[in-house]
Amino acid sequence: MAEIRLANLAHAYGNGSYALKPLDMTWRNGGTYALLGPSGCGKSTMLNIISGLLKPSEGRVLFDGQDVTDKDTGARNIAQVFQVPVIYRSMTVADNLAFPLVCRGVPAARIKARVTAVAERLGLARHLTARANRLTADQKQLISLGRGLVREDVSAVLLDEPLTVIDPQMKFELRKTLKEINREFGLTMVLVTHDQNEALTFADTVVVMNHGEVIQAGSPQELFDRPATAHVGTFIGSPAMNFLPATVEGDRVVLAGTGLSSPLPPGSGPLTFGFRPEHVGTTEGMALDGRIARLWFEGAEQIASIETAGHVFRARLPGTTASVGDRLSLRLPISALRLYRDERLVA
Amino acid sequence: MRTLYLAFKYSAILLWSAFVIFPFLWALTTSFKTANGVTGGATWIPWVQYEPSIVGWQSLFGGAGGINVMQPFANSLIVTLTASAISIALGTLAAYALSRFSFKFLWMRNSDITFFFISQRIMPPIVLSIPFFLMLRTLGLLDSLPGLILVYVALLMPIAVWVMVDFFNGIPRGLDEMAWMDGCDPVTTFRRVILPNAVPGLVVAGMFCLIFGWNDFFFAFTLTFTQTQLLPVAIVSLNSSVTPWWALSAAALVSIAPLVVLAFVVERFLSKGGLAGAVR
Repeated sequence: MAEIRLANLAHAYGNGSYALKPLDMTWRNGGTYALLGPSGCGKSTMLNIISGLLKPSEGRVLFDGQDVTDKDTGARNIAQVFQVPVIYRSMTVADNLAFPLVCRGVPAARIKARVTAVAERLGLARHLTARANRLTADQKQLISLGRGLVREDVSAVLLDEPLTVIDPQMKFELRKTLKEINREFGLTMVLVTHDQNEALTFADTVVVMNHGEVIQAGSPQELFDRPATAHVGTFIGSPAMNFLPATVEGDRVVLAGTGLSSPLPPGSGPLTFGFRPEHVGTTEGMALDGRIARLWFEGAEQIASIETAGHVFRARLPGTTASVGDRLSLRLPISALRLYRDERLVA
Repeated sequence: MRTLYLAFKYSAILLWSAFVIFPFLWALTTSFKTANGVTGGATWIPWVQYEPSIVGWQSLFGGAGGINVMQPFANSLIVTLTASAISIALGTLAAYALSRFSFKFLWMRNSDITFFFISQRIMPPIVLSIPFFLMLRTLGLLDSLPGLILVYVALLMPIAVWVMVDFFNGIPRGLDEMAWMDGCDPVTTFRRVILPNAVPGLVVAGMFCLIFGWNDFFFAFTLTFTQTQLLPVAIVSLNSSVTPWWALSAAALVSIAPLVVLAFVVERFLSKGGLAGAVR
């Protein structure tokens, strides 16, 4: 269990192009973190640097203030659950769970006690004498997790898309188990995923990455309310955030033909208004009247594509009474309006 | 139509089986013949077509008209087993290194080095025989078992490396990485995690080494004179002015016996699922 600090960390290839652009963050002990982004965004690179499989070209990695950048993987006391279940096929489940302790020279009696306890907790007790090979994919992932849990002092558990190959119905169970384990054991957990749902439901802090760069790190609520870039606004939330081109009128920025308006920020570059379909209401705020062009059914709600003064945006409408062609009188609270310059949040 | 197909299928199988089995059958019957039995062309049925005799078999174990094959047999066994064991041990370590770590020597990378190992098997044996001869002479190891073992290790280890590199490449690197995370040092990782998964590869590499080592005639012939004789050379040496076909056939059967036993053992291992689940 450790606080992980990535100090001015970066990783560049020999040719100078960055796999991971410089970043600086601290992950608190016992927290859950998710690295979210598309394939090739640098999230696995970051994970490999933390686990010690890859040595960063710049910056330091610190566990509880101790510099571990030059320490090898074994000395870092990390556990990792890989995308494809990796287990010691030639060993029994019990031997698999015991292996990290055997490697560290823990006394046999202590090993037995730890393995029994962890197997009990993970629901693997029945399978202890079975060949690990014989178990299902989700059970194998639990074994990987268990190899971390048997070490009471494990620094962190790294999860590299651990749910990808798990059957849909077991995915939910496994995710729940991971979350419970985090709370019970107070482990620092880092989940790498490209699935926003997985990231937002698992982590207290989601780190959104793209093209080797950390774009935004924050709680799911922060990412939802104040996306740092248009990319985050589009990537997080379903339906995506609305982005509409704004124009300058004197010292204000407005959306032509609507009531949307905000003070003009300094700087230059194209301006865009952003707001969430969920924040569009009918009671208070700036006028955003329009006509329903399309509708999508969503259980108790409807998602409407609304046309107004040459713009199209989406809104989440309560109830299921609206129909295509309806004219709606909509409002957007001033607190829900975001302004982006060059796709970056400015207000 | 179906009958025609079946007829064609089985005649093809029978034809091929006959082609494979006949030489053995010929050797088996000939080994029980005398000079009178072999002169009348190929005959197959004992007591009817020829009068069986165990003269050929007796001659292998000290009887008249042949040579004692026991000593060459023991020599072959020692050389083949020792050379194969050394080749597998060194070859497996080299293969693991080549599969898992990056090497660079001048312009050569891992794949070049792997190829370098096998490249000497590409050369015709005659090219290698002269340097081998000179080296063994310098070392004073000509016509000796240690000298032959040395040469056979040089010949067999590339096969072990070649087979095992491919096999280790098939074992996911994640397994090594996981073992490192579990706090395992590289040597323990290899011994306790990777090697148990490589048993089928070891069996295949071992089989190749034993077959090539056991059957080699050329180096056994060029690097020995009178003191040390391996089985293939001993068999050929039977072929003098008057060839004792019966002794030659019996000796040939003795020489293939270990490989036949090996084939059955390996077959049993494979059919038991020794390879199943080896890689994922």
